Amino acid sequence: MSAAAPPVLEVQRLGKRFEARAGRAEAFWAIRDLSFVVGEGELLTIVGPSGSGKSTLLNLISQIDGPTEGEIRFREQAIAGPTSGALRPGWDRQFGYVTQEDTLLPWRTLGENVLFPLRVQGGLSAETRQRAARLIQAAGLEGFERYYPHELSGGMRKRGALIRTLVYDPPVILMDEPFGALDAQTRTQLQADLLRLWNLGRKTIVFVTHDIAEAIALGDRTLVFTRAPARVQSEHRIPIPRPRDVRNIYVADGFAEMYERIRKELE
Amino acid sequence: MIIAGRALLGVVVLALWQAAHLALGAAWIASPIDILGRLAEITASGELLRHTQATLTESAFGFLLGGGAGILLPFGLRLSPRLTAALDPFFAAATGVPKLALAPLLILWFGIGIVSKVAFVAAVVFFFLFFSTLAGVRSIEPQLAAAVRVLGAREWTVTWEIAWHTALPYIFAGLKVALPRAISAAVVGEFIAADRGLGYYINNARAMADTVGLFTGVVLVTLLVLAIDAGLERLQARSLAWRPLARDVGV
Repeated sequence: MSAAAPPVLEVQRLGKRFEARAGRAEAFWAIRDLSFVVGEGELLTIVGPSGSGKSTLLNLISQIDGPTEGEIRFREQAIAGPTSGALRPGWDRQFGYVTQEDTLLPWRTLGENVLFPLRVQGGLSAETRQRAARLIQAAGLEGFERYYPHELSGGMRKRGALIRTLVYDPPVILMDEPFGALDAQTRTQLQADLLRLWNLGRKTIVFVTHDIAEAIALGDRTLVFTRAPARVQSEHRIPIPRPRDVRNIYVADGFAEMYERIRKELE
Repeated sequence: MIIAGRALLGVVVLALWQAAHLALGAAWIASPIDILGRLAEITASGELLRHTQATLTESAFGFLLGGGAGILLPFGLRLSPRLTAALDPFFAAATGVPKLALAPLLILWFGIGIVSKVAFVAAVVFFFLFFSTLAGVRSIEPQLAAAVRVLGAREWTVTWEIAWHTALPYIFAGLKVALPRAISAAVVGEFIAADRGLGYYINNARAMADTVGLFTGVVLVTLLVLAIDAGLERLQARSLAWRPLARDVGV
């Protein structure tokens, strides 16, 4: 990201406090005084210990939830902050969100799920249908369009959820440990798929994970978060050139050193 | 295998029935053979069609009215949780009213014609469907609703896409209980005051000490409920085909 191009996303002194309720003695800050920026077309990864407010951050950016303090700016416009009004989930389709649990609609087939955003946005045309078909093919899901989510493997569902977001082409995609619950092999495959798909369009991606290797393998830049309340503990530019081979990322120049540094910080 | 078992069990039940008839006498237990004869007789005379039609019509209208309101209301209430909370004790109280005891009152208000039975069926059916649908609407997964909103869906889509599909299995569970009750309610209404319907036929047989007629009426109501239930099962299997355990739902 050059200094001249304005950032796509700016998070400024963001804070989120969850109020006390029965069964949880006191109110607590999941995020406090958190600031960072994301550049156009950047793949930013965020690592942090479990429960460090990473998912909360993505919920705030995607406007599923509102911040307690601070501000989020998208293309220099304040979209969330103490003064902004009602939440607008997805900020009018500017943010795609791929969550930890895949949120495919269980009563719709894979094909219907992928077309769903286009349908509700009124953007269903021969052209967009073709785009959806191309994405399904690119993700290796051809032939499974008429299957219900429960009939697909975990990895296929993840791919489906990712394509459902790519199909309407949001400028920013938020990903919350999307490959967390998969076996190592499927996971590497999906990481490779993600990089390939990202290379086609170079979207801005904010990718949250607790896996250091994944953060390094995917990211242009990695932020390390502290325990809750989350703040940026450190920032690392990943020196590994692209295209990267995620299967052999462990032997890439600079990987081991970066891994060790981040691991120490997370201790 | 299952079919053979069923057939065998059916034969055993019929045999026991016939044995009871022989042991206790025709005044107490009607013979299955006599009932078959009576069925043929009233089919030929057109009585069967007339009574069944009357009971079915009352049940269907009452069911559409009460069931429709019971299913739609929770979706409306979803838009205002505060109103729902405020109304909660009133629904609980209304549920507590013994519906059977309402039948004479409804006949007083609406007369002995079809309207009083329709109102009675509607009152009985409404609560079954209202509470099961409400439970269904309340079990929406928040992540699913959030995800759909992020994708650009408006509130109407969330209602249709998420609330409806989530509630559907609950609605079917409600229907499973409510449909037989709808028929029963119509029959009970006809006991009290009517000039046609299966309830009227049964009550009339009772007044004439016609044991075969009594049994025939009960058999007819049972067959009607079975037929409706079979239809419901098929509809459910079709509507819930997406569910992983659709084939076990009917157990």
